[in-house]
Formats: sequence, structure tokens, C-alpha cells
Amino acid sequence: MNNIVEVKGLKKNYKGFLAVTGVDFEVGEGEIFGFLGPNGAGKSTTINMLSTIIKPSEGKASINGFDIVADKNKVRSSIGLIFQESTLDEKLTANENLMLHCKFYGVPKEKREERINEVLEIVDLKDKRGNIVDTFSGGMKRRLEIARGLLHYPRVLFLDEPTVGLDPQTRNHIWEYILRLKEKAGITIFLTTHYMDEAEICDRVAVMDHGKLIALDTPDQLKTNVGGDIIEIETENNQEAKAVLIEKYEVEVKEAGGSLTFQVDKGSEFLVQFVKNFDIPIKTVNLRRPTLNDVFLALTGREIREETASSKEKVKTGMRRGRR
Amino acid sequence: MEAIYAIWQRDVLKFFRDRARLIGSFAMPFMFLILFGSGMSGAIGSMVGGEAAAGPLRDFDFVEFMFPGIIGMTVFNTAIFSALSVVQDREFGYLREILVSPMSRTSIAIGKVLGGSTVALFQGLMMLVFVPFIGVSITIPIILQLIPVMFLVAFAISSIGLLIATSLKTSQGFQMVIQVLIFPMLFLSGALFPLNGMPAWMDFLVKINPLTYSVDMFKKIILQPEGLAPALREAMGLNLSVFGHVISFSEEMMVVLILSILFVVLATVRFNRSEA
Ligand SMILES: Nc1ncnc2c1ncn2[C@@H]1O[C@H](COP(=O)(O)OP(=O)(O)OP(=O)(O)O)[C@@H](O)[C@H]1O
Ligand SMILES: [Mg+2]
Repeated sequence: MNNIVEVKGLKKNYKGFLAVTGVDFEVGEGEIFGFLGPNGAGKSTTINMLSTIIKPSEGKASINGFDIVADKNKVRSSIGLIFQESTLDEKLTANENLMLHCKFYGVPKEKREERINEVLEIVDLKDKRGNIVDTFSGGMKRRLEIARGLLHYPRVLFLDEPTVGLDPQTRNHIWEYILRLKEKAGITIFLTTHYMDEAEICDRVAVMDHGKLIALDTPDQLKTNVGGDIIEIETENNQEAKAVLIEKYEVEVKEAGGSLTFQVDKGSEFLVQFVKNFDIPIKTVNLRRPTLNDVFLALTGREIREETASSKEKVKTGMRRGRR
Repeated sequence: MEAIYAIWQRDVLKFFRDRARLIGSFAMPFMFLILFGSGMSGAIGSMVGGEAAAGPLRDFDFVEFMFPGIIGMTVFNTAIFSALSVVQDREFGYLREILVSPMSRTSIAIGKVLGGSTVALFQGLMMLVFVPFIGVSITIPIILQLIPVMFLVAFAISSIGLLIATSLKTSQGFQMVIQVLIFPMLFLSGALFPLNGMPAWMDFLVKINPLTYSVDMFKKIILQPEGLAPALREAMGLNLSVFGHVISFSEEMMVVLILSILFVVLATVRFNRSEA
């Protein structure tokens, strides 16, 4: 597989604050590549550097063989971008938004009609072509942005939090479109998210925290690396229980949100014996396969979810600020 | 080329779609012409000529005098406020869609200035609907002469607008700066009243004000001062001169042209440096 994105030692320094602290990775052609991390991890900053919006402070990166600093315009022609915040002109119709994009990117005149039809077909917005974007729902706007990002046949499509702020049903739809895209157009998809289930769909996931890449692998492999099944218990006395667990069962125990979490091989068999023999009264027990959240927990000692709970709020106030 | 055209087209399209703005654009000129103009014409008329004015000064008509100034005012306002779209595009995110495309920044800047100039030209021409109520006679040749002059003036002012817009982050900030700028420029341009017998410092401000020369061109085209009696011409402030030299139409055209080039270059350079 050819690498369509290559990144070496990429850094971003915001007046003394290192938002991205030197990351290295490659993305293969046709891959769905995901950036997973909590708010402020540096995901958007990395995407913005790769898409030539901001200048890297240090390091190199190329997309489709073009350097992101020296060959800006060639990089720009090779990529499609869907930003975290909407960048549609809501006073214009869907068709006008798409037409302008064709002109901005030099799509030949005779191909425009056909391409617009094609991308609108992919996102199921054909019948809304002449409508003013103002009248669209949040999900429709998102789909239109995705369609617009495809018009110039980019080799890589960057999606920064493509589903943030959307209801679960719309999120699922957007994902259907993204997967359809991969099949139909065969393009490489580079996305950021802090939803675990979205990261699961990716071919490979890079886990980012505090501007560093702390893991990069397929979702399955990442979970396997965590090791074993996960048991979560709540007891009458967590402190004492923790001590016992460490001493008697020799497991590593993590405390989060009033419960204790640890990992064992063959969880179901372990659990039967464990509940029978444990002295401290147990309130709840939960056994599950590891998720990407556990991967993050294992790598950083923190849960990604705690931080995302408030992230919707953050996005909303951010939008309001922009819309004033 | 296509890029310039696309940027231009978007601004023009949005201008014609915004009905409220189109209708609203008549409000200010209407108030100035009808309320301010008609209301003041008695007072100004008697100041200029007096009740017992002899001969030519009796022909002084304040509303007629103001009309070219009102066209000028409309063109300035529209042109300079057209740059507000750049600030709004930044606020609403669309500027990113523009800036991450492979179009050159220079094409984008020129497209924006041309868009603003076109819109201002249309607004200026729309003011001609007031003609039947005022009593100036506007012929087709006059309109044909007005169009390129309006466009050139609009181009210069739009460039100034873009220069300011690229330096500011919010619409409010932009509107503030423009208000502070546009009023003194308008009052010291001779658009709204004849500028005669001013103190020297004020006269200096008038002479360095690009609007002065722009308004004077509109006056020369619409009022045709060659046909007026010398005393009336003087009273209407139509003998604009610098260091005792009476400035000709083509010299004024040169001044505005040079300013256009200067400001469009400055604005483009500035825009080239701005971040997405
Ligand atoms: N223009 C800027 N100036 C200074 N600091 C910045 C700037 N942009 C981002 N940062 C900081 O860089 C860090 C990384 O931000 P970034 O937007 O890349 O995070 P993210 O991973 O995309 O987070 P989110 O999930 O909230 O979108 C944050 O701590 C942020 O405060
Ligand atoms: Mg982000």
C-alpha cells in the first residue's frame, strides 16, 4: 500500500504552548484513518497543519507527494476539508454553494453539472439542490459539506469531528455516507473524533493526548494490547477492596467514578470464583470486552468520556460565539 | 480569472438577493435629499444669495446641489461597507472555504474589491430614481459618463474597506472604524453643503480627502458648471482648487486612479498575509 500522507516530527508551538509535540505517522492510500483524543489533545491543530491552514513550527509532512509548506496549492487541490465548524454560505442555495466550490477548485465547466449530481446522490440531497442552506437541518448541512468536499475529487478527505453536535440517528447516517464514499470513490479518509464507536469503524486509529501520539494501530489490536477482559466492581469499601485485589489477585487496579476496574484473562470463569470468595460486600459487578475507552484509560490513566461529556456544551457555545 | 469571477459573482448575487438591504439603501439618501435637503434649502439659499439676491444667485437650488453628493455618499457607503462581507465570512466560517482552496490570495482580494465596486455602482445608479423629483436633467450621455467614474471611485473605496477589514476580527469593530472614518470624510468632501470660507486647517483636510475629488467629479458631470454663471459656480463651491490651481476633471480622475492602485495593492498585500 502506498502512503498518501507522511508526517515526520510535526510540531506546533502557539506562543510557547506546544499544542502538538512532534508526531510521526503515515496513512496508506484508501485507508480510513482516525485521530482519537479528548478536547484540546491537538487533533484539529494537526489537521490544520496538514491541510495548510496553519504553518507547522517544526517538522515535515507531505500529502499525495506534495510538501505541505512548499507546495501548498498542490496540497490544497489534493485534499477535501470538512471543518469542525460549518463553512457553508447559508444565504445561498445548495447548488450555488457547490457551483462556487467547483469554480474555486477549477473543476472544468462541462463536468460541473455531472459532479454536482454525483455528490448530491452520495449524500441523498438531490431533491434539495435548489433550496437555501439556511432552511437545512444540522445533519443536512453536514452532508452538504461532505458533498462539497468531494466535488474536486480529492485524494484525501479530512473530516474534523464530522458528527459532533448531531443526534445519534443522524450520526449513523453520516457514517453510512462516509463508508459509502470509501467504497465508491476509493479515497483516503482522515478523521478526528472523540466518540469511541466512531473510532471503531476506522481501519487504524491514532490515540492522541496532550499533543502526543500515544498509540497507533487497528482498533482490534489496540484492544488486544490492553490485555484480557475488563471487570468493573463497586463495593462497600473501595479502598480496602483495592488493597485486597492488588495483594491477592496481583492485578493492576484503576479507580474511576466510584468503581474499581481491573483486567483478567478469561473473565467469565474468573468472575464466578471471585464473587464467591471476595470478603468485602460487592454492590455491582460488570464484565466486558475492552473498548477503545479502556485503551485510552490504560494509556493515560484517564477516561476519554469524562472529558467529552462537556464537549457538546463547548461546541455549542463556540458556535454561538461565531454566529453573533 | 475564474477565481476572481467566482468571488465577484457571490457578492453580487447576495446583493441582489437581499431585498431588505436593497430597499433600505434608499432610506438614507431619501432622508438627506427630501428632509435635510428640502428643509435646509431655504436657509442655505438665503445664506448663499439672500432674499434679495441679485441675478444668478437666485438660481441656487440646494437640493439640486446636493444630488451629486448624495450619489457620492451612496457609492462610498456601499463600497466601504462591502468589505464587511470579509469580516462576516470570517465570523461565519466561509472565509476558510475560500482560503483553503487553491485560488491565489491576490485573485480573492481582487474579486472582493470588484464585487464591492459593482454593488456600489448599482447602488449609485439606483439613486437616479430621485431625478424626476429634483429637477436636474440627466441624459443618457451623462449616465454613460457617470458609470466609469462611479466604478473607479467605488474601486478605490472598496480597496480601503478591504484593507481595514483584513485587520479586524469582528463586525462590530469594523462598523465602528468605518463610522468614525466615513462621517468626517463625508462632511469634509463638499457632498452635503458648499465648502466656502473655511478655516485653513479645515481646508487642508478637505484637500487631502479623496472623497472631495470624487464628489467634485460627480458634480462636474451632473451639474455641468461650465454652463453656470461664475458667481453661482463660486457659491456652489465648484471651483475646487489646490494652491490656487483650479483642478480639472482629468486631474481628479488621475488622483482617484492613483489612490485606487495604491489601496488595492496595500489591501492585497495585507490580505496575502492574513491567516485562515
Ligand atoms: N490559535 C491558537 N492559539 C493558542 N492556542 C491554541 C490555538 N489553537 C489551539 N490552541 C490550543 O492547542 C491545543 C490543541 O487544540 P486543538 O484544537 O488542536 O484540540 P482538539 O484535539 O481538536 O480538541 P477538540 O476535541 O476540542 O476539538 C488546545 O490546548 C488549544 O487551547
Ligand atoms: Mg478539534
